[in-house]
Amino acid sequence: MPEIFINGQPVQAEAGQTVMQAALANGFYIPYFCWHPELSIAGNCRICTVQVEGRSWVEISCNMPVTEGLHVLTDSDLVREHRKATMQFITLNHPVDCGICDKAGECTLQDYHFAYNGSASVSREPKVHATKFHDLSERILLDNERCILCSRCVRFTREISKSNALGIKNRGDVSLVRAADDSPLDADPYSDNVIDICPVGALLSKPFLHKARVWYLKPTPSICPGCERGCSVNIWHRKAEWHLRALDPAQNTSIARVTPLENPAVNGPWICNKGRDLAQVFERPRADRAMQKGKPVELASALLAARNLIGEAKRVVILVSSWGSNEELAACRDALNGRFATFIKRDHAPLPGERIEDDLLIRPDKNPNTAGARALFGEASLREPAFEPDTDLVLVWGEGCNFATLPAGAKIIFLNSYLQPENGHADVFIPVSVQTERAGTYTNFAGVVSAFEPCFPKQPTVANAQDVFAAFTQDAVARS
Amino acid sequence: MPGKQLLMTFPVTATSHTLADYVARGGYATLRRVLTQLKPEDVTKEVNASGLLGHGGAAFPAGRKWGVVHLNDNQPHFLCANADEGEPGTFKDRWILENAPHLLLESMLISSFALQVRNAFVYIRGEFDLPYRRLAAAVEEAYTAGWFGEHILGTEFSCDIVVYRGAGSYVCGEASGLLSSLEGKRGYPRNRPPRLTVQGLYKRPTVVNNVETLANITRIIAEGADAYRKVGTAKCPGTQLVSISGHIAKPGVYEVEYGYPMQQFLFDDCGGMLPGQKLKCIVPGGISTKVLTAAEVEPLTFDHQSFAGAGSSLGSGGMIAIAEGTCMVRLLQVMLRFYHHESCGQCTPCREGMGWLHRIIDRIVAGEGQPDDIDSLYRISRLQDGMTICGMGDAAGYATIGILDKYRDEFEYWVANKRSKLAGNLEGTVHA
Repeated sequence: MPEIFINGQPVQAEAGQTVMQAALANGFYIPYFCWHPELSIAGNCRICTVQVEGRSWVEISCNMPVTEGLHVLTDSDLVREHRKATMQFITLNHPVDCGICDKAGECTLQDYHFAYNGSASVSREPKVHATKFHDLSERILLDNERCILCSRCVRFTREISKSNALGIKNRGDVSLVRAADDSPLDADPYSDNVIDICPVGALLSKPFLHKARVWYLKPTPSICPGCERGCSVNIWHRKAEWHLRALDPAQNTSIARVTPLENPAVNGPWICNKGRDLAQVFERPRADRAMQKGKPVELASALLAARNLIGEAKRVVILVSSWGSNEELAACRDALNGRFATFIKRDHAPLPGERIEDDLLIRPDKNPNTAGARALFGEASLREPAFEPDTDLVLVWGEGCNFATLPAGAKIIFLNSYLQPENGHADVFIPVSVQTERAGTYTNFAGVVSAFEPCFPKQPTVANAQDVFAAFTQDAVARS
Repeated sequence: MPGKQLLMTFPVTATSHTLADYVARGGYATLRRVLTQLKPEDVTKEVNASGLLGHGGAAFPAGRKWGVVHLNDNQPHFLCANADEGEPGTFKDRWILENAPHLLLESMLISSFALQVRNAFVYIRGEFDLPYRRLAAAVEEAYTAGWFGEHILGTEFSCDIVVYRGAGSYVCGEASGLLSSLEGKRGYPRNRPPRLTVQGLYKRPTVVNNVETLANITRIIAEGADAYRKVGTAKCPGTQLVSISGHIAKPGVYEVEYGYPMQQFLFDDCGGMLPGQKLKCIVPGGISTKVLTAAEVEPLTFDHQSFAGAGSSLGSGGMIAIAEGTCMVRLLQVMLRFYHHESCGQCTPCREGMGWLHRIIDRIVAGEGQPDDIDSLYRISRLQDGMTICGMGDAAGYATIGILDKYRDEFEYWVANKRSKLAGNLEGTVHA
């Protein structure tokens, strides 16, 4: 444990740390563009300079090993002068088009300009022009004028996603980040992370392009349901105080974008592209009317009908959703208390062309809470559903069930969130809320429990599955 | 010739570069003695004692660089000869590669023996054609004669060599950029620490020496460190190859003993300036060293201490003599165009600063300069100094500040009058 001194204050650093790591770990801020805790040291942006006391020059702290008794200054006059100079160099050919840049508001360059530079460019030369709106992939646009060539994206594709999809071509101030010819970024299921780690607005998400200024948006902590990894994510949606009145109000309740929420126990700072596209899952056409044999009914009467069916049935099979939260699954178990055969249904199977599994994040089971359901219903419930011949009621919760496989003659209670043809075939159909409309927890494959919070209110005609099961409790059934 | 000769010891003929001629001159006898009689430590000790300085430009003692490599540390070591001679004004390694390739190879074998190197490399710049062909032919000859390969001379020592052609980037002459390029990556220089002698090629201890530095090894081992120290000065033993060009009567490559008077070298050995021209200044060792005016050069002797005292350095020995009447603004423009073109673009100050300097001087030359542009050139140069991953930011700054310090009046004249004080002349004035 070498002891170093930062701005005169003693700090216990760990052996093998750099001055940057020791400083950040102990509450001293050193600015950085190219450095990233998960990536190798590039040392190219030169903004993280510090001064070793007694020396008349500055050095970069991201590559400076801590040594016993080292005295560094993070805010001396010399450091400030060089930081300002580096900001002048970095912004020399940067277009400073924050007004039309999606990164504005969460841009490192913008923040540092105010913190460490603060003055206009001292250059009177015309800016070097470069490609704008370059199609880096199906999902990502590149603005080379904004790019400060920190090489984070290049290192990400080499060291984390290992697709080697990006590189830098040309040299000097006409260097360009480009995708490799033979391994396009499209094939990299983690490509969108480069948008997040880009410290400027050079890498832009096509689905999010010019969709919203980020200060109108609010991140709600959530969990990606795309696989059993259960990555922590932020779901960004419009802040209540910035709700639109004149424009399409649907924008107030739609997902603007999804970004990773750093969680060292699950996903680190990354998520895969599937997690970015949660809007494609949750914003499918929704079922918002309860039905009995295809006829719209009030939610209350559908619940009553379902309860009666359960009360009358001799042999019931329940197919529970692996997209249900632990709380909903527990409510289901408590309500029906093991009286009926229960099977865990894999609501989603891998999509065609989807990566099944890899060493980084992606797991083979494409449902978020199979582990939580297994903990509640036991290992046996993971089997393929088996129906006794006298089964007279099946309760299906969630997507992914082919009704043709259910026993003929058995009544069907169906809980689903989306507008699907099966809804009308059920004897009782109850519309339920989706993850973005309620709170809950999922247990991932490794047993880590994470929580998600509601982003939007649910429609009054839609029920929370937890309430549905509460209505089925034994008491309720017995009372009926 | 200017002083004693250690490398240019034989007449250059049509066959003097061949193995037969080299062996006739006593070639490979030192290697035979080293492999059969000496231990690796003996060679390193001798090199250390000789005080041999690196000839690539920084004049770092070769023995100290070698000393960082620990023998018997159970990992491969690599040796790489830096033949990516790209500093403008420098063409002295080319003489060795063309005329004494076997001297380089024998020296590299001795060095490989001393550093326990199994695989040695020569990184040669892509533009070198004859040097490459001569060196490649010499490697073929040496392999055929059994000087490379397994169990050389029946000893335990084995060594192979690869001659790798660069693609013509200035930055690849920087040792770590060279190794990146050799590994097949972009020729980006690397941050230190770690030093290359700790983690170099393929993250293994690697010694990168200039061709001329290595070429001296054979002689040092053959005749001993004491004999080597008798040449040159006490602090600067030996000789240095100087490639002199510019407005000089007899341009070419000269071997100059350290301590030799500059006046004598310029005006006797090199025949003085071109007819009718007077010396304005010299670029002492490649354009990255600060220029010295004729008056400053006059009292100097050819050694590192003398040039450092005058605020410049001997650098890589690429000397350019510049005649009176040469426009220093145009000269700096040419230099900055070079630096701008060659900046690798990895780190911020150099990537942006080189273009900035170049655009400012272009604008001054176009007659659109403002009085504070000269201060901008100063400021950018100063803020690049020491801020870049490799030495290129410093180098361009030295070149710029060196010229601005001494010829600021020419810049001010151009800014004020929108034309050159010296008619934009790069050829010097001929006096009747």
